[in-house]
Amino acid sequence: MEKHTINVPSVEEFARPTSRRDFFKALAAAGVGAAAGSVLLSRKASAQGTDVDIANFALTLEFLETEFYRRALDAGVLRGDALALVENIFDHESQHVDAIIGLLEGAGATPVEEPEFVFPEGTFTSQAGILELAATFEPVGVGAYLGAAPMIQSPDILAAAGSIAGVEGEHVVAINNLVTGLPAANEAFPAALTMDEVLAAVSPFIMGGMMETGGQEYRDRTSFGRV
Amino acid sequence: MIGIDREVSRQNFLKKAAWAGAAFSAMGIGGFGVAVRRAEAQAQAYESYQGLGDAAILQFAYLLEQLEGIFYDEGVNAGLFANAFLDQVAVIRDHEFAHADAIATTLGQLGAEVPAVPEFTYPDGVFTDVVAFLELAATFEPVGIGAYQGAAPALESKDILAAAISIHNAECQHRAAINILNLISPPAQVAFEEALPLQDVQAAVEPFGITG
Repeated sequence: MEKHTINVPSVEEFARPTSRRDFFKALAAAGVGAAAGSVLLSRKASAQGTDVDIANFALTLEFLETEFYRRALDAGVLRGDALALVENIFDHESQHVDAIIGLLEGAGATPVEEPEFVFPEGTFTSQAGILELAATFEPVGVGAYLGAAPMIQSPDILAAAGSIAGVEGEHVVAINNLVTGLPAANEAFPAALTMDEVLAAVSPFIMGGMMETGGQEYRDRTSFGRV
Repeated sequence: MIGIDREVSRQNFLKKAAWAGAAFSAMGIGGFGVAVRRAEAQAQAYESYQGLGDAAILQFAYLLEQLEGIFYDEGVNAGLFANAFLDQVAVIRDHEFAHADAIATTLGQLGAEVPAVPEFTYPDGVFTDVVAFLELAATFEPVGIGAYQGAAPALESKDILAAAISIHNAECQHRAAINILNLISPPAQVAFEEALPLQDVQAAVEPFGITG
């Protein structure tokens, strides 16, 4: 058996408890209210609140991706394999949006409204520009789900998050293949992101910023923001 | 060939993908009959792993990783691939062994035994026929995905869960990469990854020499 040289992280590194605290801190800073809420509410209620907040956060990310791919298709500059791929990805992201909305409504929670998105000028004028931005969005999606997963209380929601995260991981590879070629699957241990990292990555694309978009909405619309 | 009818299981998943609206019901928030039944259908997968304990789940996962790693290693050594295709298969092999190493380390921390790797039996011809090899790879990956996704909610340690969900994601990425090697365009085909109940995973890998 040949020697392989992947740096295998310890299991503690995955969990990154510091990062997890940061995630909660960022949730609170974003006005999501989960961290503060958990102090006031019973353990069970705060757990549910966290799941709702995470689902709403994920919904915003899926909205962003769906809108990005919608505009990419509308731009009419994609051809061949890139066009076929983006059609598939758009369909997947749309299904993720529908699924998360259904999940929230089924819980009696209110899904966040779709914010208005803004993309850098010139993003949609070339296939290369579209794929380049796609190549930055998809790993953020993966990282957001991986970062949130250990905080999810409901096993069903955890299973759903893992399912969707995996699809975002497939998108990473499919886009890598068009941008840089093989090997397109390059990560033995795809990385979790903290909420701060996710916010930093996506805020520039959200009119008014993620804080306003998500935060106040979450505070108003969920019963867990009573702080 | 692996004993899972992929089309049937895909269709089942699409049905189950109606977990939209159902998952919270299982938490007792919602509670519509239909939604609950759907949640139960989705829940079957992880319920089959519950009670095993983290160590037993990891021991099983370790064998799956070895099954995959040795398969890809033999594929690399058999000279089935060249250039970029060879690079990708070798990278996937390295990932599988890295997963196995990470799991072995974790088992050690848990004070649990790292299982002996059995002599696996791979179907005739997979190391001489690139099409057969890639076909088998395309069936291995969804089994690994389904196993991790099914087991994840049953894991007690959040640390181990974080590791498992990362490895799950790598397996999903492999699935897309194998699709690329199989010249499937676009390689990202599914909107939702599917969890598999333990019994389905066991049935799928038993022919290769993983028992129990």
